Amino acid sequence: MSQNLHERFEQTVLPLIDDAYTLARHLLRDEHDAQDVVQEAYLRAWRYYASFRGGDERAWLLTILRNCCYTWRGGRRDAEHVPFDEELHGLDASSRYAADVRAVDDSDRGSLEAVLGRLPAQFREVLVLRELDELSYKDIARVTGVPVGTVMSRLARARERLRRVLKRSA
Amino acid sequence: MSQALHSTHEALSAYVDGELTPDRAREVAEHLTTCMQCSAEYETLLATIAALRANLERYQAPDVLRARVRTAIAATPSISEPAARPEGGASRRRRPWVWQGGIAAALLVSAALGSGITLLASRGRTSTPDVAADVLASHVRSLMPDHLTDVRSSDQHNVKPWFNGRLDYSPNVPRLEEQGFPLVGGRVDYVGGRPVAVVVYSRRQHLINVFSWPTRLGDAPLGVTATNGYNMIHWRSRGVERWVVSDLNASELRSFTELLASS
Repeated sequence: MSQNLHERFEQTVLPLIDDAYTLARHLLRDEHDAQDVVQEAYLRAWRYYASFRGGDERAWLLTILRNCCYTWRGGRRDAEHVPFDEELHGLDASSRYAADVRAVDDSDRGSLEAVLGRLPAQFREVLVLRELDELSYKDIARVTGVPVGTVMSRLARARERLRRVLKRSA
Repeated sequence: MSQALHSTHEALSAYVDGELTPDRAREVAEHLTTCMQCSAEYETLLATIAALRANLERYQAPDVLRARVRTAIAATPSISEPAARPEGGASRRRRPWVWQGGIAAALLVSAALGSGITLLASRGRTSTPDVAADVLASHVRSLMPDHLTDVRSSDQHNVKPWFNGRLDYSPNVPRLEEQGFPLVGGRVDYVGGRPVAVVVYSRRQHLINVFSWPTRLGDAPLGVTATNGYNMIHWRSRGVERWVVSDLNASELRSFTELLASS
């Protein structure tokens, strides 16, 4: 019985390690931290695997991973403390626009990675979850713990910001 | 209606993702056929998304991470169905001997229950080989570039406080430099599914990792093992389990351990 559980975990959850590692790398932006957090998340996933009630394993694993990332960052160091306010950071906020421009003018001009790195984590995670993991809005909402409407607006804003940056660097 | 559609990046973005309701999607589609402004925006959005998908980095988990994850999982019990076995069932998978071992095992279990030893403790008892594997894996990993220490210092007054707030206990960090074992630093690692303190010393070009964590198990004398060219010494005393791992020769590692144990 538990043998089956272990086999099932090996077959369905372990193969998702690249997805988990990718999200961790984008969120933590540090190779070693990402590795530690992926291990921790997997351990947690395994511990609670028996209570996993089916559904999308990937969304489930990424939910755990994301929580581990935020816990890690909060507890370990203030590597990236970017307060994010939906109102303050509205699309037309000129201060934010200036930040985008600065980002492009930095040495890594035009590098998408460099620009991404300067986005708040909330933007990075929806981008990774949607563009790379191709999760539905509903699953992204589950993973990030916000309503579907917020997923929709964050994703639109994240894309809009990237669009401006790509356009300027083109 | 078209006015409402005009302004929303959100609607277009969700339209691309197929996340609008069928009615709303039809509205947007119709609007796009007639509105130049929105259709231009739509195309820009498609191009942005294509650029994102092409350029967002996909990372591949390194083999060492896969190995670490497997090791960690193998060493850890999964918590069984909460409804069926609320708390104590967690270690069932790890204790096949309970069901095979008959009276001796039953006695051990009842002794464990009687003395109030918790789940954690019973895990510790049975998982020694896995803990050893974790400790060894951690030691090997620590030898890779940038993995050795989180806090690098030869001063114990820097290393010891560094653990504050990172762990639920404070490891002993004695100064052994005069005896030929300078302090290198410390880090937090994972062994048996919990964060543990690792204090690093050196001897000539050899590194010594000292793992420690609190335990509720009773004292245990020094146990020495050698695996893949590494010497490992472990013991428990006064509520702390310690593992010393190095490729240093066994006799020098033994001296180091005795210094450590007596400090």
